[in-house]
Amino acid sequence: MRKTLFFAFIVFATSFLFTSCIQEEAPSAECDILAVKATWLEENKEILSGKPMISNNAVRFYVNEETNVETLKTLDPEFELTPGAHIEKLDRIKMNGERGVYLFYKTTSEDGKWSKEYEVSFTKQTVIDTEATFSFEHFAIEKKYYVWHEEDNKGTKLSWWASGNAGFSMSGQGKTPADFPTSVDSAGVKGYGVKLTTRSTGTFGKMMKMPIAAGNIFIGEFLTANATKAPLEATRFGFTIAPSKPVSLTGYYKYTPGEVFTNKAMEEITDRRDTCAIYSVLYEIDPNNVVTLDGSNVLSSERIVLVAQLETPGEESEWTEFEIAYKEANGNTFDYKKLENGEYAITVVASSSKDGAYFEGAVGSTLCIDEVKINWENR
Amino acid sequence: MRKIIIALVASFIALTTTAGNANNSISDTDKNLIKAALQGWSIRLSAGYNLGGTAPLPLPVEIRGIEGFNPGLNLSLKGSAEKMFGKGNWGLRWGVELETKGMTTNADTKNYYMEVANGDGIVSGYWTGKVKTKVKNTYLSIPVLAVYKINERWNVSAGAYASFLLDGEFTGAAYDGYLREGNPTGEKTELDNALYDFSKDIRKFQYGVQAGAEYKIYKHLSVFADLKWGLNGIFPSDYSSVTFALYPIYCTLGFTYLF
Repeated sequence: MRKTLFFAFIVFATSFLFTSCIQEEAPSAECDILAVKATWLEENKEILSGKPMISNNAVRFYVNEETNVETLKTLDPEFELTPGAHIEKLDRIKMNGERGVYLFYKTTSEDGKWSKEYEVSFTKQTVIDTEATFSFEHFAIEKKYYVWHEEDNKGTKLSWWASGNAGFSMSGQGKTPADFPTSVDSAGVKGYGVKLTTRSTGTFGKMMKMPIAAGNIFIGEFLTANATKAPLEATRFGFTIAPSKPVSLTGYYKYTPGEVFTNKAMEEITDRRDTCAIYSVLYEIDPNNVVTLDGSNVLSSERIVLVAQLETPGEESEWTEFEIAYKEANGNTFDYKKLENGEYAITVVASSSKDGAYFEGAVGSTLCIDEVKINWENR
Repeated sequence: MRKIIIALVASFIALTTTAGNANNSISDTDKNLIKAALQGWSIRLSAGYNLGGTAPLPLPVEIRGIEGFNPGLNLSLKGSAEKMFGKGNWGLRWGVELETKGMTTNADTKNYYMEVANGDGIVSGYWTGKVKTKVKNTYLSIPVLAVYKINERWNVSAGAYASFLLDGEFTGAAYDGYLREGNPTGEKTELDNALYDFSKDIRKFQYGVQAGAEYKIYKHLSVFADLKWGLNGIFPSDYSSVTFALYPIYCTLGFTYLF
């Protein structure tokens, strides 16, 4: 009996050590803006256009054309935050050209140890200028990597371009902005261009079964939170910014494929050679329930109306001009009425490995692209 | 190091063989063993099961719950020699033990800082989500214990041990959660399943203290329980992939054959 008791005690004492000493939960260290309060969105629905886009350090609202910019300065949206976190509006306003404003907010975590600043922007939805060429001259280094934007002639910043750089950042491979898959080509056709390089994501990437990252740049958004869990859905293509019916896509490119083509498991596929992708898609979208195309369906969706795709890209070592016509797809025809109603979204996509979204490609494949222009039908 | 082990094993063999010299009939107890016993010496062979965990102490605030614990099959085989001093109750026991210390756990974590350094890159951030850990380390251990005989049936022992890693495994997965890059305000990335393997970084040498009790059931058989408390973490103290020290704390339950 004593023996049994003794053993029971030892077993109990051991298990006690590991199960019963869970400490009291620490206050939260996070301070995210999770959402914009539905009540506030409802109260301001007259001026808002579409849904706000929330990222780790910014909230973007689009507003209707007729909204007075002075009104925008007085807006004070209400946010849902990480439980326990609090927020204060900073006494700072910045104009975005003549078409929008930036407001600034600071959030602080429940434990008080962490805080971050959010840039909250209200911008009038702007369509692409029919004469505009995307020259990739407007870029900045954000965190560790390059980001691009467009500007209208009044200096309004238009955040149209996105890349997968934020996802690559997780791999720990990017020590300088030039190490990232999407970087600046200092010898563009005119000024700067964009340089897309398929990179290895190292041990961490291999662990995640995402051994490579193709360089990409596209009109749309990149959802970093999805980057490793659902990478195809992380690339949200397109905005409702088409001014007319696109006729052709022109521009310049250079391409050198990498030596060794590999699959998702990083196994060499000897009979495949890497190739790049340059394309543009105009597709139908419901303005009241915005669901963009993403990496899983950008070239296969039934909603595609017009598509322009560089069919057989060459391996050009010098800047080479391309011109690709938009063709109707899925038996759909372009309808100006739908364009007026905001029912068409357009994207332009370039990638250094055509199947990079599926982690197939050759490390080292390099696509440079510059002076991209969509030519529009005169109305 | 290897020399010490060899010397210990050799002295053991020497002790047992001299004790059991040229005697063809199988008897209950060898005469030499009886002689040795009269001088306070005894030889024992033990087999046991290691139950416990390789865990941080106390559990850090980042660990929100233990959802699963599987002690696994961890065996221990030990040969030891004991010398009782004079006619008193005190003695010394030392031996060589081949043992496995392992477990598998599923823990819930919140804001757990981790840094995974691979030769080619460093990923660091705060993980909120589940962590599965499998530890299975095989050691050659040398316990040196003071023994106190309470009575004919009971004795207790306490002392220290040194362990040398023969084979180590520390693997697992971070799953169903998200990583915040750099700090808790950093970019959030959801992860389904990220596997890790830190086996090659396990410390080769462990030491600790242990205490136990033994109960003699028959003349040649006893049962025992020993609590072994590791005093150094299983990873080097500056190891950044696992930021808190993990101490092996195991209880060996087993029986001993007394020669």
